[in-house]
Amino acid sequence: MNFGIIIKVLGTLLLFESIVLIGPLGISLYYGESPYPFLYTIVILMLSGGAMSTFSGHSKKMQAREALGIVTFGWILVSFFGALPFIFSGTIPNFVDAFFETVSGLTTTGATILVEIEGLPKGILFWRSLTHWLGGMGILVLTLAILPALGVGAFRIFKAESPGPMSDKLVPKVKDTAKILYTAYLGMTILQIVLLYLGEMNLYESMVHTFGTVGTGGFSTKDGSIGDYQSSYTLWVITFFMIAAGVNFALYYNLWKGKWRSLFKNSELRLYLSIIVVAGLLITTNLLVTTYYDGFFETLKQAFFQTASITTTTGYGTADFDQWPAFSKAVLFLLMFVGGSAGSTGGGIKIARLLILGLVIRREVLRLLHPQAYLPVTLNGKAVSSNIVHAVTGFFFLYMLIIGFGTLLISLEGVGLVTAVSSVAATLGNIGPGFELVGPTQNYSQFSAPSKMLFSLLMLFGRLELFTVFLFFIPSFWKGK
Amino acid sequence: MEIIIVGAGKLGYKLAEAFAIEDNNVVMVDIKSSALDRADSQLDVLTVKGNGAQLSLLSSLKAGSKDLLVAVTSSDEANILIASTAKRLGCKKVAARVRNPEYSNQIDFVKKEMNIDYIANPEQETAKEISKYLIKGKALHMEDFAEGRVVMTEFRAKNLPLAKNTVLKDLDLPSQMLIAAIQRDGGIIIPHGDTIIKESDLVYIIGEKKTVNNYCIECGKPSIKRGAKKVMILGGGKAGYYLAKNLIKSGVQVKIVERSEERCRYLAEELPAALIIHGDGTDNHLLREENIGETDALVSLTGSDEENLLVALLAKKHGVEKVIAKVSRPNYVPIIEQLGIDVAINPVLIIASEILRYTQGGRVAALSLLLGGEAEVIEIITQENSSIVGKPLKALNLPKGLIVGAVVKNGDVIIPDGNTVIGPDQRLIIFILQSEVKILKKLFYKTRGGIFGELWDNYKGLRDPSSI
Repeated sequence: MNFGIIIKVLGTLLLFESIVLIGPLGISLYYGESPYPFLYTIVILMLSGGAMSTFSGHSKKMQAREALGIVTFGWILVSFFGALPFIFSGTIPNFVDAFFETVSGLTTTGATILVEIEGLPKGILFWRSLTHWLGGMGILVLTLAILPALGVGAFRIFKAESPGPMSDKLVPKVKDTAKILYTAYLGMTILQIVLLYLGEMNLYESMVHTFGTVGTGGFSTKDGSIGDYQSSYTLWVITFFMIAAGVNFALYYNLWKGKWRSLFKNSELRLYLSIIVVAGLLITTNLLVTTYYDGFFETLKQAFFQTASITTTTGYGTADFDQWPAFSKAVLFLLMFVGGSAGSTGGGIKIARLLILGLVIRREVLRLLHPQAYLPVTLNGKAVSSNIVHAVTGFFFLYMLIIGFGTLLISLEGVGLVTAVSSVAATLGNIGPGFELVGPTQNYSQFSAPSKMLFSLLMLFGRLELFTVFLFFIPSFWKGK
Repeated sequence: MEIIIVGAGKLGYKLAEAFAIEDNNVVMVDIKSSALDRADSQLDVLTVKGNGAQLSLLSSLKAGSKDLLVAVTSSDEANILIASTAKRLGCKKVAARVRNPEYSNQIDFVKKEMNIDYIANPEQETAKEISKYLIKGKALHMEDFAEGRVVMTEFRAKNLPLAKNTVLKDLDLPSQMLIAAIQRDGGIIIPHGDTIIKESDLVYIIGEKKTVNNYCIECGKPSIKRGAKKVMILGGGKAGYYLAKNLIKSGVQVKIVERSEERCRYLAEELPAALIIHGDGTDNHLLREENIGETDALVSLTGSDEENLLVALLAKKHGVEKVIAKVSRPNYVPIIEQLGIDVAINPVLIIASEILRYTQGGRVAALSLLLGGEAEVIEIITQENSSIVGKPLKALNLPKGLIVGAVVKNGDVIIPDGNTVIGPDQRLIIFILQSEVKILKKLFYKTRGGIFGELWDNYKGLRDPSSI
């Protein structure tokens, strides 16, 4: 492995993080809070990042190995240093807790160990939500878009960090592709901030909740999450943007290019929207039958907010859905395994993978009827290469395997099975809230330190799509074989 | 520049590699996804699977608004069709690879009637290079710059007056030339005064033509000798055909060894003056029977790089004076020197240089790729506002991978040192490693420097819809 180049790029990444921290620093100064937690962190980042970026590799060439190393190490390092403001400010004095919180932010999970949020320094909460925004589209992709190009290896980094079974460039240069994606992301962010600001939120709250929405994260400034805002307007705006953030951002580029017809033809988008509509209507019906809420529109609003929140893996809550009737809970539980579209900021298994898996099942059934038939798996009218099909089936199996083993380890805590399964699914899928002890009104503070580290690992696993992180447990990756 | 390359074979890949390193947006099209996968993982380009001759594909790639389209698929006809179609759609410049000898007489017609700007024929160019070397005894890889006033050539270091551990600055070179680069262990080093020159090195010399020529003769460079009279060519493919034709025209006796009987018949009809031998060129018995020891030169041009290299070694063993092997893949470049073969010629590199030179347009007067494309020698004409102008070279903080080999000022050749100040409208011959090519843009165009300049350029890029 070419460690020199890895360290150099990671150093650049840390320098970049120090620049990003100027944002929350400004917020804390504005609200008259102590700026020192951020100042200390910025200085530490500048020093370590500066020192690391002076390294140079024995060659400039970056192979797959190095790119994967950069992505995984990068996320761990950024989380590590990102936890420092929480510790310095005394908000979260324990390191394991602070690390958990930062990983949860960056991986856009939104699971928290904080019992009470209101009353915490505004700068700290701003940073906590800003990690969602950074992690949503990928902090390395952002680095690629802004900083001088890394060369050929950039595409490998881009591939390793962007979610979905296939990542395609929109334009020839990785740098330009990253720029386009971030432009769409930034545009969406600004639009939502303005729309929320027009409602009952002030500018600060609008920004924090926008970061949580477009990054599909789920951190709020209120103990009751979005439930503390009662206007239907705010709820529907957030519902809309959660769904929008779960769409493949490449489609927005097509839309902007005037190829809006390709949107209708996109089978992933169609399935994604159908899942939300069908699940939302099922929950609405169930809630109406059991008369859980008063009135049709209130029920519809709550049902769709929660459906969108879980499907897109955001994890905002307006209601304690843990109290909902069993059928609605079952629908939400299944949605935890769906996730957003490929190339979106959402986590989970991803619609594209489910679509491919469904097509594989269809193919196998057809093969029983026509044993000699040549049956390619086709997505959007194009045959999916068999490598990708294999990767998808492998991904699904590994995903289930990790949920199984994770549940086993978490149940050592003595929590109920529902808590164990849903906490693992909620962290691996980057969702946040689960059921029972990790339900929407609960949090992750009751778990032991080893369990919190396990959850942190699961969140990274989920965000970086299993294989990237899994590689680190394979000895031959290290031995350079 | 916005560029489309159709065909992701050896040449397509090399071109994409050379183009993508600079500030160009490259789209590669190929029918085979395996060829594209390789490009996808190694190069910063966009790959599209499909038939490049399909109108709907070309228009969906916006071929009409591109600056350049290069058609280098395996089929000449397809290349002509693709290039011509793209031109009709409005592509600014189009180039096509056409290598069939049967079309070589109608190139001008094709260019004019089909509206193709540039037609590349790697085999013909290769044959031209080889025959120059064989007939005139001119050094292969001797490149002319500044209308022939400056030349660059390769030179085996063992021919230099070397003592043990001679460092560059102690070497007594004429003042009108310099050693621009050293090829060692398969890599290229840009030397400085304290670099030790080893016997096994290959050095690249840039200098004023007469000085270099005299120096070559003085040091007894073996390639400056009489022209070859008897030449044996292994492999009667397109390159072999072109070479034989050129050689016969100059009165050289040519023997062609070709494996396919059908091809032999064709060659015998087309080249009555050549002796066509039907057989396997790697067969030692056949080579001896054909008096290999008596020939002046052996050129191995079969389709297999491995075979060419091995036959060349065999011929050396038989005492053939000049041995040339065609090696199309860059894989073996690092070991060729060690094999002791005089010359390995790479048609892909030759034609890639030609196409690059053509597409760089007016400012770049000459360009040639060296050592598998790892380095370039480029001739650039300076402008008033180039940032290289007006300062002594040592104040410019030039990167290590770049050396200004010669400056031509009002027809005089100057070998620059740190104190040389470059003015506008001068020709510079620059030796540069491929990894540093980006710096050329900075040196020859005025841009804002530093990270803010980069951000500003990005911002401009975002606003300009054509860049997205």
